[in-house]
Amino acid sequence: MPPNSDATMDAAPKIQLIGASRDFEARGRRVQALQPVDLSIQPAEFVALVGPSGCGKSTILNMVAGLLGPTLGRVTYDGASVTGLNRRVGYMTQKDTLLPWRTVEANIRIALELKCRPTSRTDATAKVAQMIELVGLKGFEHHYPNELSGGMRKRVALARTLIYEPETLLMDEPFAALDAQLRLVMLDQLQFLTRLRKMTVLFVTHDLGEAITLADRVVVMSARPGRIRTIRNVPIERPLDVFKARFSAAFGRLHEELWDELKDEVTKGTDL
Amino acid sequence: MSDLALTPGVKDMFVERGRLFFGGTLGRVSARIGILAVLLAAWQYLPGPGMRFWASDPLSIVSALVGWIVDGTLWRQLLATLTVMSTSYALGCAIGVSVGLAFGLLPRLDKVMSPFIFAAYALPKIALAPLLIILFGIGVVSKIVLVTLVVFFLVFSSTIDGIRDTDPDLVRALRLMGASRFELIRKVLIPAALPWIFTSMRIAVRYAFSNTLLAELIASNSGIGYLIAYHSGIYDAAGTYAAVLILVILSVALTEVLTRVEKAMSRWRA
Repeated sequence: MPPNSDATMDAAPKIQLIGASRDFEARGRRVQALQPVDLSIQPAEFVALVGPSGCGKSTILNMVAGLLGPTLGRVTYDGASVTGLNRRVGYMTQKDTLLPWRTVEANIRIALELKCRPTSRTDATAKVAQMIELVGLKGFEHHYPNELSGGMRKRVALARTLIYEPETLLMDEPFAALDAQLRLVMLDQLQFLTRLRKMTVLFVTHDLGEAITLADRVVVMSARPGRIRTIRNVPIERPLDVFKARFSAAFGRLHEELWDELKDEVTKGTDL
Repeated sequence: MSDLALTPGVKDMFVERGRLFFGGTLGRVSARIGILAVLLAAWQYLPGPGMRFWASDPLSIVSALVGWIVDGTLWRQLLATLTVMSTSYALGCAIGVSVGLAFGLLPRLDKVMSPFIFAAYALPKIALAPLLIILFGIGVVSKIVLVTLVVFFLVFSSTIDGIRDTDPDLVRALRLMGASRFELIRKVLIPAALPWIFTSMRIAVRYAFSNTLLAELIASNSGIGYLIAYHSGIYDAAGTYAAVLILVILSVALTEVLTRVEKAMSRWRA
């Protein structure tokens, strides 16, 4: 796979959902988790999905990754329908799928050990060291996942995904388990890396601030059954300073606007 | 409540003294020796002449044991038992892991074969001992076949279970990274099954031990089990007890070795 070309404003979307919906079968009852959704994501675009629990955010990621097929409609990647696992995406799921028998270092290295990504041992070691530094796990290289806190495991999962520089990143609340300060540091690193490598990112979060800080566009989803309520461009100059962004006027306005949209949905969700 | 509160110093003194004696290694060991000495003395001197015939007595047992050490019987029979046990264990583990991996990694093979496997697994293997003696004779071979079967089924079924139990999310994560089928097997399925395999191998040691003895007890011409069966057959109580005593020492040693090996191997599962 060639890395993303410089033509950021390529007319052809990287990811496209065309009337894609998804039903689930639960105890013999059909439940619609996601109403038909239309969404196009351009190459190198950073799109955040926000919305209450159970609004189908994770379902969208799963469909783009090819873990789930749409019940109706189509999901395309680079213009072709996604059938089976989409190996061009790096997917950081809510659950950190670290291998419990590998140390932090070995977990992060695993993608570089695969045949499809030939990497020399010295290169791999250097990259792993760099990633460990990046996610702030220096000193924990030889720990096993069960010896780490939830937040540390998330960081290992992040490093493991970023290390092989997938052209597209799918992230499902990657920073939910982190404390506020560390979260800002990670947001900063993520912003830097994804823009440097021109990655396309689809990022699910509960946190509106996180969404506005990172994303070019924010998609607000509504409660069950999930659908898109509104999509907003983020008119803030990039790259921004994640540590200060929250205090700018533009940020405040957009946050307020989006929160008005989200508020109804969140309260709707509570009577479930 | 109130007198406890009034006399904490006195109470602490007793507790402290008790802990010093029974809590210390020296105190514990001497207590044990004391209990053992009382029991042995009772065994030696209490039974009347009539009872002595079955109960034997510690001195006769020790002299039987010393006799075996001197004439080499002990080493010969111990070696026979340990040979059967370790050969069968190694064979059973090797075949169990490899066939188990094949079945676990080829679900179609597993589906076709599972009724047969289940029937064979459910059968208590010791029931095959008479049949195996007809087929392979009273010597070592029939025992090795039997114990190998026992170990095989244990390790085999755990290996399959271990592979089946692999978290599908781990497999999915690696596949999304682009892992080939072979890489999935090597990097996820086999490591995930390893704790299961090791657990079954640990349990299999005990099974190999007890089934070797059972097989020797049923019909044989060598081994500690044979020693027990032979001496009880000729109503030699001292010899029977002596052989059982060897067994006790052997099992304690085995357990000790196993515990140490496990401790050394189980860091990431802690």
